[in-house]
Amino acid sequence: MQASIETRDLTRRFGSFIAVDRLTLRVERGEVFGFLGANGAGKTTAIRMLCGLLQPSSGTGKVAGCDIQTETDGIRSRIGYMPQKFALYPDFSVEMNMRLYGGLYGLKGQALRDRMDVISRLLNLEPLLSQRTDSIPWGWQQRLNLACAILHKPEILFLDEPTASVDPVSRRHFWDIIAELAASGTTIFVTSHYMDEVEYCGRVAILVQGRIAALDTPVGLKTTYGHASLGEVFLDVVERAQTTSSTQ
Amino acid sequence: MKASLRRILVAGHKEFLHIIRDPQTLAIVILMPVIMMFLYGYALNSDIHNAQLLVEAPVPSAASRALTSRLNASTFFSVPGSIPASADPLQPFRSGQARALLRLPPDFEASLRRPGGAALQVIVDGSDPSVGSRMRGAVEGAVQKTLMDYLDIEPPHILDQRAVVLYNPEQRSAMFFVPGLMAVILLMISALLTSIAITREKETGTMGQLLITPLRPGEIIAGKLLPYVVLASLDGLLILIVGRLIFGVQVAGNLFFLAICSLIYVFTALSIGLLVSTIAKRQHHAMMMALGATMMPTVILSGFIFPISSMPLFLQVIAHIVPATYYLQIVRGIILKGVGLRELWQPLLILGFEGLLLFGLSIRKFRIKL
Repeated sequence: MQASIETRDLTRRFGSFIAVDRLTLRVERGEVFGFLGANGAGKTTAIRMLCGLLQPSSGTGKVAGCDIQTETDGIRSRIGYMPQKFALYPDFSVEMNMRLYGGLYGLKGQALRDRMDVISRLLNLEPLLSQRTDSIPWGWQQRLNLACAILHKPEILFLDEPTASVDPVSRRHFWDIIAELAASGTTIFVTSHYMDEVEYCGRVAILVQGRIAALDTPVGLKTTYGHASLGEVFLDVVERAQTTSSTQ
Repeated sequence: MKASLRRILVAGHKEFLHIIRDPQTLAIVILMPVIMMFLYGYALNSDIHNAQLLVEAPVPSAASRALTSRLNASTFFSVPGSIPASADPLQPFRSGQARALLRLPPDFEASLRRPGGAALQVIVDGSDPSVGSRMRGAVEGAVQKTLMDYLDIEPPHILDQRAVVLYNPEQRSAMFFVPGLMAVILLMISALLTSIAITREKETGTMGQLLITPLRPGEIIAGKLLPYVVLASLDGLLILIVGRLIFGVQVAGNLFFLAICSLIYVFTALSIGLLVSTIAKRQHHAMMMALGATMMPTVILSGFIFPISSMPLFLQVIAHIVPATYYLQIVRGIILKGVGLRELWQPLLILGFEGLLLFGLSIRKFRIKL
């Protein structure tokens, strides 16, 4: 079966700085994949390449069956992206924001209304539809962000530190929905530097200085490195990778 | 193609909703042109009207009374009556009571009929140079005419000079500023508002979010600019209607040609707004830049108020870069002179060229920023 995301030696240089270094990975359909790294490890650059916003310096990749260099239009209509910072229109009502994003993805008429109904029910946004977006609490704004990212039934959903500043109850609810989406075949690609976010992932890649330093299930990682928490694993992996690179 | 057009319309509709949901922008779009028209129309009027003129007559006589009442009857001046001779004739100027003073000699009546004539003195407040020189001419002209009538003599026939004033025979300043305001208002809507709107999206991060949707960069720009083209068109129409109804300015030329030329100007102004938004990081940067780089040169250098030919060479060079300079030639040509493409192709060509240049430049910069 074709992978949802597949890259080979994906590299991006900015001048002499190598932001992403020969990234090779394969994410299956319906998988919840964690992409873990410190600030500056190359997460954002990698994501931007996968979303077709940035051309790689070398290497190849396919996202949702589309080439990341030549078929960026195809990629953008097949993925959803939820930024860590709220990026919707505060002066619009909840409903207007949803209608706008549905429209940008080509949804219209009855199909758009049906889809908005389904999503607002799924995310419990129904009572808030007519409210101005800047008047609802942060946790709900985050849900609206998610709603706008999945209206068009994306094949892959990119989440950037999705629950970094959300209370534990909302977080739990959020990940329940993510699990539901994954079960229905949506691939989830989560980037974060918060350990408790990637606990929910099927597999986790740890990125250090643009390279994948470790890749396994959360349980596998803990066993391999002999630590009780992913946080300790992360620190261990980063330390080892840095020692190797400095002895080279 | 069809999908692309649909996305542009969705993005354009979104921008339109932003505008109608923001009272501030709405006020700028609707009230600003009207307020500016009334301000320029009534306050910034250099036509002389009811200027305070004092007549100093040490010995009142029939001649001085005739002169005073004739001057007072003219709409140019308001003469509160004649005043006695004073030791300090400049006092009324210092206190702001007078804009002009006409001093008559004590033997005014008698000297009028003497060979050699009467010696009068006109003192004018020249602090506003254009008003000062106009007032001097007006006082001298009125005195001359009144005294001729009073003495019942004809002016000597040496020359028969007749002037014909074209396009604005009554010399009303409204005829001059209404077309000029088109240039200022259209620029403000197109350059200032768009640059702020685009910078706001960059600032809030929504631009990044739009780029990840199927919207292409070109479609984002097109959708963003579309509502402002509509607004600018509406404002152009509003200025013409108010100009016609309140200030009696009629368009002598072809309205359709005026619309096309205005759209080319709007395109140029939008490109400036776009260029500003690729440079500015924050909304207030965009505002300062748009004001400094477009509004100021347009108001001061384009010939909107001050004639370009009177500027020093250095400023004339800059004036010939400002797009509004060419649009003003066009819009005054159409509205006042009623001329068309045959007379205006040159400024139109330059304006279009500047538009394409700025648009190309801003698209390039916009792409690089992604």
